[in-house]
Amino acid sequence: MGIGSKARRLALLAGMAVCAFGMSGAEAAGRHKIFLSMSFIGNDWQAEAANMVKAMASHKSMVDKVDLQVQVAGPNAQRQIQQINAMVQAGAEAIVIFPISPTALNQVVKNACEKGVKVFAYDAEITEPCAYNVHIDQEEAGRVTAEWLVKKLNGRGNIIAVTGVPGTSVDDLRTKAAKEVFAKHPDIKIVGEAVGMWSQAVARTELSKILATRSWDDINGLWMQVGCFTANSMQLEAGKKSSELLPCAGEGSNGGRIQMLPEGTEVEGATSPYAPLGAPRISYASPPYSGALALKLAVEALEGKDVAKKTILPLPVVTNETIKLCDEGTWAEMKAGCNAFKPSLVSNPGWFASIFSDQTPEIGLAAALVGQPEE
Amino acid sequence: MSVTSLAAAAPAATLARLLARHRGAIIAAIVFALLLLVVDLVSAGQLTYFDISFLSSGGATSALAAIGQTLVILSGGFDLSAGAVISLVNVVLANGMDPMATGTSVALWTLAGIGVGMLVGAFNGFFIAVLRMQPIVVTLSTMFILQGVTLLVMDKPGGFVSPDLGAFYLGDAIAGWIPMPLVVIGVVLLGWFWLKGTRFGTALYAVGSDPDAAASVGVRVVLVRFLVYVIAGGCYGLAGVFISAQTGSGDPLVGNPLLLSMFAAVVVGGTRLGGGQGGPVGTVFGAYILMMVVNILLVLNVSAYYSTIAEGTILILAVLAGSLSHDSVLARQLRALRARLAAWRAGMLPSQIDRTDRRLGIARGSAGEQQVPQPAFHVRNAETLRYALPAYVCLAIVVIVTQIWLGRAIANFGYWNSLFVLSSFLAILALGQGSVILTGGLDLSVPWMIGLSGILLAGMVNGSDAALAYALPAVLAVACLIGLANGIGVVFLGISPIVMTLATNGILQGFALLYSQGTPAGFSSPMLRWFMTGKVFAITPVVLFMIAFVVFAVLLLGRTAFGRRVYGIGNSLRAAQLSGIAVGRTLILVYVLSAVCAALVGIMLTGFSGQASLGMGDDYLLPSIAVVVVGGALITGGRGHYLGMLGGVLLLTALQMLLAGTTLPYATRAILFGLVVLGAVMALRERRIQ
Repeated sequence: MGIGSKARRLALLAGMAVCAFGMSGAEAAGRHKIFLSMSFIGNDWQAEAANMVKAMASHKSMVDKVDLQVQVAGPNAQRQIQQINAMVQAGAEAIVIFPISPTALNQVVKNACEKGVKVFAYDAEITEPCAYNVHIDQEEAGRVTAEWLVKKLNGRGNIIAVTGVPGTSVDDLRTKAAKEVFAKHPDIKIVGEAVGMWSQAVARTELSKILATRSWDDINGLWMQVGCFTANSMQLEAGKKSSELLPCAGEGSNGGRIQMLPEGTEVEGATSPYAPLGAPRISYASPPYSGALALKLAVEALEGKDVAKKTILPLPVVTNETIKLCDEGTWAEMKAGCNAFKPSLVSNPGWFASIFSDQTPEIGLAAALVGQPEE
Repeated sequence: MSVTSLAAAAPAATLARLLARHRGAIIAAIVFALLLLVVDLVSAGQLTYFDISFLSSGGATSALAAIGQTLVILSGGFDLSAGAVISLVNVVLANGMDPMATGTSVALWTLAGIGVGMLVGAFNGFFIAVLRMQPIVVTLSTMFILQGVTLLVMDKPGGFVSPDLGAFYLGDAIAGWIPMPLVVIGVVLLGWFWLKGTRFGTALYAVGSDPDAAASVGVRVVLVRFLVYVIAGGCYGLAGVFISAQTGSGDPLVGNPLLLSMFAAVVVGGTRLGGGQGGPVGTVFGAYILMMVVNILLVLNVSAYYSTIAEGTILILAVLAGSLSHDSVLARQLRALRARLAAWRAGMLPSQIDRTDRRLGIARGSAGEQQVPQPAFHVRNAETLRYALPAYVCLAIVVIVTQIWLGRAIANFGYWNSLFVLSSFLAILALGQGSVILTGGLDLSVPWMIGLSGILLAGMVNGSDAALAYALPAVLAVACLIGLANGIGVVFLGISPIVMTLATNGILQGFALLYSQGTPAGFSSPMLRWFMTGKVFAITPVVLFMIAFVVFAVLLLGRTAFGRRVYGIGNSLRAAQLSGIAVGRTLILVYVLSAVCAALVGIMLTGFSGQASLGMGDDYLLPSIAVVVVGGALITGGRGHYLGMLGGVLLLTALQMLLAGTTLPYATRAILFGLVVLGAVMALRERRIQ
């Protein structure tokens, strides 16, 4: 029984192998072979970014140029190293990476560069000099949001800080920059600090823990990397009126953006707390389009155009003064200045709304939601 | 003629015995070779030396660490601190090396890394061997402490590891023939072969098979256990050195994700969880099999959303391939089925025989004996109290400290309400995970069972209370099916619970991604949100539900036939079988129960947050195991009371609330958390072996 079934298994695997080989051989004609190495696909931001990359690759201007393969490495840097090596072996011309670690990939990236492969990192950074990086200035993000909060509080008050994933460069840069700002204002006191892991669900449990021994009345403001939408919902549940919501500096989730609209605005599909509240907010984000832009730049680099090693994306900042509801969410509409989407189109309030870039007319709302490029 | 055949038969028998003894490792090697063949067939070019070289370096870190884990598991232990040691060694090296210095000593830094690992191992070993505490709690606490220490050494990626280290560990031992990583692994394995031949090696297997018997024949169990953790620590340390050489820098998070796949590598390599059987050679192949999956997914061009499904499937297939033999569980189950069918045809099944009472007429005790007064409550329940009480005592201490440090705790009703609301998730998980642990298993599919249920529910409900009426039963039904699949895999296919549920977790993640297309739609209905966050006379409704659930759980485990069977199986599977317990059915039910509990938590979290998100269950796996053990349950099964687990839940939640109220940095909080858990379970020490 053992040997027979093993032989059958081998035959089956060999069959699969032949199929796969046949397909990839036929496809490769005349298109750039580009691989995308994602880290972990199990959260909203990553999945949204993946959708946008897929949409970019299938846009009519790209579809004849790009043969894109998307692979997931999981949260394990070891496996991403192995994956990038395997991609180089498989004949990649360019590799677009969401780096799990800014430093751990340096050796393998250097090796890839030496073989003539263009390596593009998006959102986070790879410190190896031969890599192209596409991301926002994280320190600026921390500084701008902290300065806004200080100004909103007139330089005095008790605040709660909710940070990201401890031990990552992104969290470190943002938090340190923000704390430097707060340190300049001795009347601003951080009375509670929690690790929010960049997740609305975690922000909720952590805030609940803090508020078990504290009341909303002792707190004057919030600085959060992710979680303002949740914090506003919790204040409403605790009996606050929407006019009493605390100023919150935080992430660019669509739920938070909708809450920023003046109370009473007619919005299709809105139900409290995912509704216009006039919440005092500054909303920033690490935009999920960075992967799609990295892919576009990679194609340009392969076509011989000059691409800068470092592309610092403009920090998408929205305040109550600049918030504007989109009708359909096309790129043209966002270009005209809208930056929040109706709940009837985006039912998940935790979905990241900073999807607009001047440089990516190929992708709009449909790209981020279902991987469908613009016309 | 006959003489020659006799002479030939002896080596043949030896060979057969050798094959039988090393089956696990041999099968892992065959599976590995097959996978290598597939990659070779499918990838464009021939498999070159370069391919082998980078493959060998890719899997080396996990292989080295998994060798250490194998030793611990062989001795009947469990080590959750392995990944944290790797991170720690990585940052210590990256922090300690001077970028300006030339000619870094490879030997010196290697020894430093191994030394750090061994120190941690000695810490673990002291608590486990000398103080006789449960490995899983000790190493879990160590993991938290080390994560804190690692962040204190280096709070973000950076630092510098000399290229000399990389040149040595990633270079060639013999240029063009043997890459260095294979030599490193080979040297470690040679060390193991030497060790196995010594008295320590024999003692290691003896302790893993049966510590009592080992102690009776004069094995120094305490010393053996202690040394096992020290040696294992050294292996993790070497793995940390290797990953430092490979990455050329430090990252405080680099080792943590290696933990779960390490257990999978051990099991795929043919080592039995619980000890006494297997060895590191199979583990090395196991680690490389798991690494090869990355290449296979790439050459087969599996799309991103399917990758975790494909990985889970490959894991199950790799383990199943190892069980294709005459005495595998699957084969035995098939034979049992045939026997049952034959018995049914012959009309010999117990259910077909007429129901006369065939009990032996044992004389009842005399009337005098019945008059013996029942012992007092604390005497009857001494064992349960001894294991369940420490958690509650520590809880009281934590609450008092909270009152003194932060104020507003004991007299503040809101504090207690929050404590119970935040505890409710783990309290429910504790019943599911606890029952599985009581039978001697482990359910690792909890995270994505939570995530998938939340996403399914939010999608179906979409803000409508009416839809809740069909969405709730539908989600719970899906959970039953998934639990059933877990149970069937464990019982009928004989796959180890860790591997089966780990694979299921990956498959569920894939389903969640496919279902949501990466963007979970829908949100919780008003009623569900009110249930989790509203107030009825200052009490959140879920607290009342939790009280009812606790009563249900205590009755289920303590007062029903099902509960007795769970304990029976955990104490001794064989004895349970021989006493006529339907072991298979009970085990399957236990996994169904665990899946349903996880689904309930997913539903509650959706109500609590108002929406579902991918990865919402990620933070519940290790805590769900920790609370069960902190509450006094034995990780190998058979002992533990639900009220003890509940104490564990309340203790951990209260501790987190205390730490959240302070402004201590995260690293300090992690260290404190680990120390308190370690202190809390000091009282749960095993009794000294007589």
